Amino acid sequence: METRDNLSSTGSDVIISVKNLKKYYNKGEIKALDDVSLDIRKGEVLVVIGPSGSGKSTLLRSLNLTEVPTDGSIFFDGVDITAKKIRNEKGRMVKLNLDLHRQRMGMVFQHFNLFPHKTIIENMTLAPVKVKHVPKAEAEKKAMDLLQRVGLKDRAKAYPIQLSGGQKQRVAIVRALCMNPEVMLFDEPTSALDPEMVGEVLAVMKNLAKEGMTMVVVTHEMGFAKEVADRVIFMAEGAIVEQGTPDEIFSNPKDERTQGFLKSVLNV
Amino acid sequence: MDGFIKLSNFPRILPYAELFKQGIIVTILLSLLTVVIGFLLGNVLAMMRLSDFRPLRFLSIGRDGKLRKGGLLLTISKFNPISFLATVYVEIIRSTPVIVQIFIIYYGVFGSLIDLPGIKLLGFIRFDRFFPGVVALGMNSAAYLCEIIRSGIQSIDGGQSEAARSLGLSSGQTLMYIVLPQAIRNILPAIANEFVVIIKESAITYTIGVQDIMSAVNASKGALFIIMEPLLVATVLYFCLCFPTSKIIAYFERRMSRGNKR
Repeated sequence: METRDNLSSTGSDVIISVKNLKKYYNKGEIKALDDVSLDIRKGEVLVVIGPSGSGKSTLLRSLNLTEVPTDGSIFFDGVDITAKKIRNEKGRMVKLNLDLHRQRMGMVFQHFNLFPHKTIIENMTLAPVKVKHVPKAEAEKKAMDLLQRVGLKDRAKAYPIQLSGGQKQRVAIVRALCMNPEVMLFDEPTSALDPEMVGEVLAVMKNLAKEGMTMVVVTHEMGFAKEVADRVIFMAEGAIVEQGTPDEIFSNPKDERTQGFLKSVLNV
Repeated sequence: MDGFIKLSNFPRILPYAELFKQGIIVTILLSLLTVVIGFLLGNVLAMMRLSDFRPLRFLSIGRDGKLRKGGLLLTISKFNPISFLATVYVEIIRSTPVIVQIFIIYYGVFGSLIDLPGIKLLGFIRFDRFFPGVVALGMNSAAYLCEIIRSGIQSIDGGQSEAARSLGLSSGQTLMYIVLPQAIRNILPAIANEFVVIIKESAITYTIGVQDIMSAVNASKGALFIIMEPLLVATVLYFCLCFPTSKIIAYFERRMSRGNKR
């Protein structure tokens, strides 16, 4: 994998560009996101760390508009997805189809959010079949391949209830992968897991990173950040305080809030 | 009146047994049809209340193609006439007595606006009485079922919708494939309970001449000049209809909640 030292790239390989993103609650009293700007490049693994309430989850959830920002723009592959209407090639204002953009971004949640009334294989094939109109047999084949890769092929016919937390999260990851996303968003994917199950989920994520998937990961797993991240962002009070390579952030943090945070999490 | 209840009076009701038998059939038919109509109409109402139909939505978008931050135009743009209508309907039904609703439907709608044929179903059910009863009770229970369905939909964890939308499903598909199947499963016991409520509530339709159990009580009272004994018979009949039904519901409720445990 190529190394990425130019952090402020604005070149053509930027896939998501966040500009002056703000998320206010109670009419501006609470600023979950306070003027955040950020470029995410193709193939990059970006890990977002920070204390709880720092806005890191809000930022991640804003990227596919699960959370609707108060102000600011998010450009995904050049299109401002926060706009309700955009200009098409002919210069006409047309309604923005957010679903089309969401298909291209996979999301993994802290609480898995598998569909409990559907089997594992049904969880995985639902979106490809209903949204992309992939033939059912083809979708199932792809799903089985993915399940095999995460070692859960024999659980295809099981219901989410019958799976352990780690298994559920692995299914949630491959469910998102079934849509062939260009970006994967991870919202604290291991925070709801028993400690012994964290490793199996992180292993799947590491493989994904190795394959060159663009990933944005909000996590408290500092080991994962050190090992896998191309870039680490430290957030506090709704803003990006510091960013750099894992080495820069973990070995030589400049801001004292970063130093304090790392001290408290690494000394546990 | 001599004595409260006389055992010797019960055999005197026997000649009217046929009326009570017909009453049971009418009560069950009436309740079943009511719950079906109520469920269908209730679903429509719930969808209306939860709809995202805002004809003035364009007012919310400013010249720059972005959502307005506030102001009167944003408030107006949120107006949803479909949801408003459904809410008005539900609140009116829930805030007025069912007997008033039944009289309005029977005397108002079917008495003057629509003429019903004087046919008899199963040879004894007077359609021109039965049908207005079903319509009125169905419209009434739709308002309650609407709220049951709506709360069922809203009780589904928001993460389910988030996950579905993040996969690219539209809001309609999310409702259809993810939210509704789970919601209906959750509210089935409540719907069945509504059925029990309707069995009891349907007694009021005897006031417009529907030949249910209560009407059999009325007939035997008029002919025999006794009231407590026919009422006791009705009590036993209603109890035998409702009690086992609610026990069966409770049984299935327990079984289903066992399967749902995480």
